[in-house]
Amino acid sequence: MGIEIKNLQAAYEDRIIIPDASLVIPKGKVTMLIGPNGCGKSTLLKSIARTIPAKRGSIYLHGEDIRRMPPKSLAKKMAVLPQSPLVPEGIQVKELVAYGRFPYQKPLSGLKRADHEIIRWAMEKTGVLELEERRVEELSGGQRQRVWISLALAQKTGVLLLDEPTTYLDMAHQLEILELLRKLNHEEKTTIVMVIHELNHASKFADHIIGMKQGHILFEGTPKEVIHVENLRKLYEIEAVLMENKDKGYPICMDYSLICE
Amino acid sequence: MKEKKYGFRAAVCLSLLLTVVLIALMVGSYHISPFQIVQTLLGSGSKLQNFTVFQIRLPRIVLAVIVASALGVSGGILQGITRNPLAEPGMIGINAGAALFVVLWISAGTTDYYSTLPVLTILGMPLLAMTGSLLSVGLIYLLSSKSGIRPVRFILTGIGVNGGILAVISFYQLSMSKGDYNQVLTWTNGSLWGSNWNYILLTAPLVILLIGAVLFRSKNLDVLALGDELAAGVGLSVPKERLLFLLLATFLAALATSVAGSIAFLGLLGPQIAKRLTGPVHGKMLPMAALISSILLVGADVIAKNLFSPLEIPVGIVVSIVGVPYFIYLMIKER
Amino acid sequence: MKRNTIILTAAGVLLLFAGMIMSVHIGAKNIPVSEIYRAFFHYDDSLNAKLVREVRLPRMLLAVLVGGMLSLAGTMMQGIMRNPIAEPSVMGVTQGATLAVSIAAVSSFAGGIYGNFFMGLLGAAGSGILILVFTMGKASNQSISRILLAGTALSTFFLSLASVVALLGNRSQELAFWVAGGLRQAGWVQVAVVAAAGGFFSILAFSYAGKINIISLGDDAAAGLGISPERIKLLIILYLVPICGVCVAAAGNIGYLGLFVPHIIRKLIGNDYRRLMPLSFLYGSTILVLADIAARTISAPYELPVGLFTACMGVPVFLMLVRKEKR
Repeated sequence: MGIEIKNLQAAYEDRIIIPDASLVIPKGKVTMLIGPNGCGKSTLLKSIARTIPAKRGSIYLHGEDIRRMPPKSLAKKMAVLPQSPLVPEGIQVKELVAYGRFPYQKPLSGLKRADHEIIRWAMEKTGVLELEERRVEELSGGQRQRVWISLALAQKTGVLLLDEPTTYLDMAHQLEILELLRKLNHEEKTTIVMVIHELNHASKFADHIIGMKQGHILFEGTPKEVIHVENLRKLYEIEAVLMENKDKGYPICMDYSLICE
Repeated sequence: MKEKKYGFRAAVCLSLLLTVVLIALMVGSYHISPFQIVQTLLGSGSKLQNFTVFQIRLPRIVLAVIVASALGVSGGILQGITRNPLAEPGMIGINAGAALFVVLWISAGTTDYYSTLPVLTILGMPLLAMTGSLLSVGLIYLLSSKSGIRPVRFILTGIGVNGGILAVISFYQLSMSKGDYNQVLTWTNGSLWGSNWNYILLTAPLVILLIGAVLFRSKNLDVLALGDELAAGVGLSVPKERLLFLLLATFLAALATSVAGSIAFLGLLGPQIAKRLTGPVHGKMLPMAALISSILLVGADVIAKNLFSPLEIPVGIVVSIVGVPYFIYLMIKER
Repeated sequence: MKRNTIILTAAGVLLLFAGMIMSVHIGAKNIPVSEIYRAFFHYDDSLNAKLVREVRLPRMLLAVLVGGMLSLAGTMMQGIMRNPIAEPSVMGVTQGATLAVSIAAVSSFAGGIYGNFFMGLLGAAGSGILILVFTMGKASNQSISRILLAGTALSTFFLSLASVVALLGNRSQELAFWVAGGLRQAGWVQVAVVAAAGGFFSILAFSYAGKINIISLGDDAAAGLGISPERIKLLIILYLVPICGVCVAAAGNIGYLGLFVPHIIRKLIGNDYRRLMPLSFLYGSTILVLADIAARTISAPYELPVGLFTACMGVPVFLMLVRKEKR
């Protein structure tokens, strides 16, 4: 069992975004949340990350209620990469990645040898090891995103949540990040949950897709099961032309137009 | 930042502080040579030298270091939690509350506060100021809390409260006698005039304790700099920590204000210069900020005392004259 | 919206007129309206007539002018900075002028009424340049907190420098009058200078209302519509400087008027600066005239600083605006 959400109600201050949602995010898979702007996909992710406290209902991580878990023990089980984290001025790559060890540290203790090894491993995994001495603000968008993922890896968690990790990147870097995440999923068996904008990325890289609209779960399942003309009509109110990828069989959206009444 | 480089820079700054302290001990209406200073400190000075060094100059210098450290650390915290390099304890109403209480007290006609009960009256002013700044912080807190404390809203509310309190102060100032007025003016602009060992005994333990508490948790401050969501993601209770640091910063600023009046810009300059020397890690940056602020304040106080001697100008003004150009530079550069 | 504007204008004119009459009528000695009328049209040498012509009338007119202009200045500043909290006293312009006036007061090289005006202009110009630097180019996207901290820092600095100047010149309490703001020194000379210089630039500023509308949409949008945002901002600040300078030289540092007056008007009629600017002027005048009456009468025979009243009204509005800040 991965992440189980039961009767979740989520709201910003007093505005209810998700009235009542229940679903299960499978363990060891790549799950992607899609849907039109303002559909509540980011809100759902933030509720799982505890950035937004749930108004009602509960969320279980491997059967444990996340509200009952102390912040640091949750951070040892689940890493979160928000959409726009801040880069402290003048910080080096390896210093930034080292923050991933924060949940394991005591107030005054420094980094131990084991920590350094994990930090090194995380940088190696994401291919930023040769950048370790560079300042983060000097890096390109794609490199920076890999540094952030590396920080999350250093947390050594079974679950990784990402909020639109490919925005602000050009096409090649978008693919690079998604390939990297898939590799992590395969090699480390990390459960990955992310919000994503691009439909074709979702159908290419996801094992499990959740479609959301106006705070409700519209559909969920494998790309092959759920990405079809009827669902896209409901989700985005578009008329899509789909094709099947020859090798892997996932659907590709070739063209689309607005539905004319 | 390499450890060695940090150690070297810290050593340079420390020796700079010692130099400024030595100058502060030497210069004044009665000049003492460096050699005589050393002699006096070792216990073989003349009566006049002993009195000047131990009863007049040294307490003033020690108090300057305490006040500057408190303000430097306080500013560093505020800049960290608001992620705004311009945040400064002197501008967000903490000092204004203290000033208001002092003004009220003076205008209530207790002009004889140097007579009858020496200890009570000497400690009376700082305690009064402390009460004032804590009350104004409470007010800012109440006005700015709306489903939790947001640091930017806290600061903006502080600016507003600051403006309101200043208007009330200027009203009282108009109806004061000239002597009272000048005294209030000196106080509201920040001054180390009237420093004594009692003030030091009152503030030093608390300031050391609070700075210790800050340094103990400084790693949390580093994590907070990554943004709320990521900080929460690595296991920090963001609202709780932020409130705690806000309180620590406030107490430090209030303590400094209670003995030295409102000294503006010191909490801005110290951390900003320190950041350039040590990088963003708070565990190193904050002690350096305390050091830099101390150098600045002890130096500024030498100027404040001697420039228009025998008239003394508030030391806060001297700090401002250095601080404002730097502030403008930051404002232009940081966009 | 249109009906609101008409109602608001009519109500404002009536209120202002009533306030003007009251302001001349009320004082240490109340002067009946009939005598005020006589003082205008059948001037005799009676004490009351003199009082009306030499003291009450200039004071009332100065309140009208200064109130309107400060409020207008605030409105324009909010427009070009796209920030509801910008205001001459919040941004340190009036404090810059206060510093310069205090230097004039203690030194001999620029004394007297005209010296005050000259120095007021100089001080306002200095801080105006700083604001220009802060608002130009990319900086116009600066967050509210940043701009406000900058303004507070500058005003703190100017005021504390001013107090040292006064302390050294042994004139500190006179300075307190300027810091607090008041119309005690009103005379025909002040009225004339404020009306001439301030009036000229206010009229120029009014003619830019349409352009401020476009600027307030954002720099890119303005540039897309063929308007150079940089140039307009520069011009507006150029107009703001003399307006604030003469107001401070004549009436001291009256704060927050330009904050809450436009804010309330904006709530009622929307964001069109062509209507917002004149109405802000009208209500700024009205409120300062009324506040001045209060300042003179509440604890008569002593006079309270009128800036205290404007701060009492302005600070709560400030706090309310700040509370809306999301972050």
